[in-house]
Amino acid sequence: MVFLSLSFWREAGGAMNVNYLSVAPELILTVAVVLLLMIDVQWKPGYRWWGIAAALGFAGAIAASVMQWVGHRGEDAAEYFRGMIATDGFSAFAGILIFPIAAMALMTAWPLVRSLGRRGAEFVVLVMIAAAGAHLMAAASNLVMLFIALEVFSISLYVLAGFTRARADADEAALKYFLLGALASAIFLYGIALVFAATGTTSITGIATFLGNELLFRPGILLAGIALLVVGLGFKVSAAPFHVWAPDVYQGAPGGVTGFLAASAKIAGFAAAARVLTVALDARIEDWAPAIGVIAAVSIVVGTLLAIAQTDLKRMLAYSSVAHAGFILTALVGGAAGVADMWFYVATYAVQVVAAFGVAAVVSGPQQGPAPLADYAGLSTRSPGLALALGLMMLAMGGIPLTAGFVGKAAVFSAALDADYLWLVVLALVAAVAGLFFYLRVVVLMYMQPAEGSGSVPVPLGARIVLVVAAVVTVLAGVVPWPLLRWLGEALPG
Amino acid sequence: MSLIDYLPIAIMFGIAVGFAVASLVLSRLIGPKNPTPEKLEPYECGIVPLQDPVQRFPVKFYLVAMLFVIFDIEIVFLFAWAVRFHDLGWYGVGAVGVFTLLLIETLVYVWKRGALDWNIAHRRRRVVDRQLREAA
Repeated sequence: MVFLSLSFWREAGGAMNVNYLSVAPELILTVAVVLLLMIDVQWKPGYRWWGIAAALGFAGAIAASVMQWVGHRGEDAAEYFRGMIATDGFSAFAGILIFPIAAMALMTAWPLVRSLGRRGAEFVVLVMIAAAGAHLMAAASNLVMLFIALEVFSISLYVLAGFTRARADADEAALKYFLLGALASAIFLYGIALVFAATGTTSITGIATFLGNELLFRPGILLAGIALLVVGLGFKVSAAPFHVWAPDVYQGAPGGVTGFLAASAKIAGFAAAARVLTVALDARIEDWAPAIGVIAAVSIVVGTLLAIAQTDLKRMLAYSSVAHAGFILTALVGGAAGVADMWFYVATYAVQVVAAFGVAAVVSGPQQGPAPLADYAGLSTRSPGLALALGLMMLAMGGIPLTAGFVGKAAVFSAALDADYLWLVVLALVAAVAGLFFYLRVVVLMYMQPAEGSGSVPVPLGARIVLVVAAVVTVLAGVVPWPLLRWLGEALPG
Repeated sequence: MSLIDYLPIAIMFGIAVGFAVASLVLSRLIGPKNPTPEKLEPYECGIVPLQDPVQRFPVKFYLVAMLFVIFDIEIVFLFAWAVRFHDLGWYGVGAVGVFTLLLIETLVYVWKRGALDWNIAHRRRRVVDRQLREAA
């Protein structure tokens, strides 16, 4: 009987094209989440157990992603589960990127987790589920699957943004994030419906085949669908003019979680955008590339100008993340040729933003929302290590040579130049120089102003490890970027 | 695919709008009008209100309602599976089993955390008891 049922199992599994390695990171994280919650609610072992379960879950997910990378890098996508999941270098690299970033963010958030009491277990679980959803967004090979992954990811983030219920601004942040995020999801879903109406399929490779073979005489519905998809994803990555939620959410959310909000949204959003635009809609690049170029230009200008006017570090980083969304979009105007450059920028920026918000969580407190810049005056005397780390991240975000930020900017600009977007590159260069002002202002504030408060700032062990790792990655990727760039050439969506 | 294929949707839409408009217009035209002060009160549940509801009242049913929605949605997925039961075979049984187990796990978790305690005072007392135990 058992053998009989097993053969049935294989038969059905074969028709479904089941491959457990393709969803292994999600499976491992789900098992870790279930064990974490059930053991916690039954025996109440406390935060040490949460840390062990999360570490095992993320380690397993990273290992599974590395196995995917070894088997699939540089090859065309292999589709499983009736074309729902694609495994290729692209999805594998997304896992190799998102899971360590989530683990790093959780380490900087650990003081927050411990201060939450029993609810801390749910915080850890939400970070793990959000990371799994983010990876699924990069691996989805069907627009419907992509939408489900997007919701798994976004809903976890809405809850995380308002996790400290005591503060009104955290509630406000969560509500704003939820309402605008739900609107963006609805717009994205409408875009899926219109693309389906125009092409008759929701499969990403199916859309690519259809658009490659058929000549649409009246492409109005398709163009409207593409526009809605771009708007929906633009919301998620906080590109202007869809960025209005970002400053309030980043400022109001508890310090410990903001780094994860910012980094994971960028990784997942741009992974989804790259797969949808450069695979499914590749034949229509003449239609969407100019729109992406304009959104990139608006993001860069709006983000840079408004960041200059901020007096709060987290708000400034929020506007700077709008500008960075523009820089990253600059790589996508080149279509598939720019995906490796996009990955380099996204990966290095995610590390920088987790570290920068990690410093904010230490200096302003893990529960706190606002982080006034005045708190950072004279930080170099109160805590030389923190000041050095934040200063390095500011220089990297500003694009100073010998940091990863410089190489990232050079890469996306060259991608845009190859696609003949000279005006965009000139505009971005001017904005990058102007942006140096507010990044360097933080450095000046920390090193050349007298300290407001007195006494040194204690740095928790988790944050210390994350800052050292982030600094090493940022400098290494800035001085010897070639190995990473070569790997990313094999991390393209097929 | 042409626009004519969407005709059923247009007819459905027309019927829906037409029904709503017709109901409102007809009841206005042929309904008897006999207003009394009670009838002009905001509708609550059919009984004449005794007092202004300007007080706080517990909304503990919202947790139960949320749990209900989760298991309601589960039924939707089970229907889809039931339709294809023979094609999916044991693989389908296994997949749906995992899905159901995850939902049951959720129920056990929220139950243990006290989401199903109707009496909130009781829940709070248990928290206080635990804090006392931990302090001791």
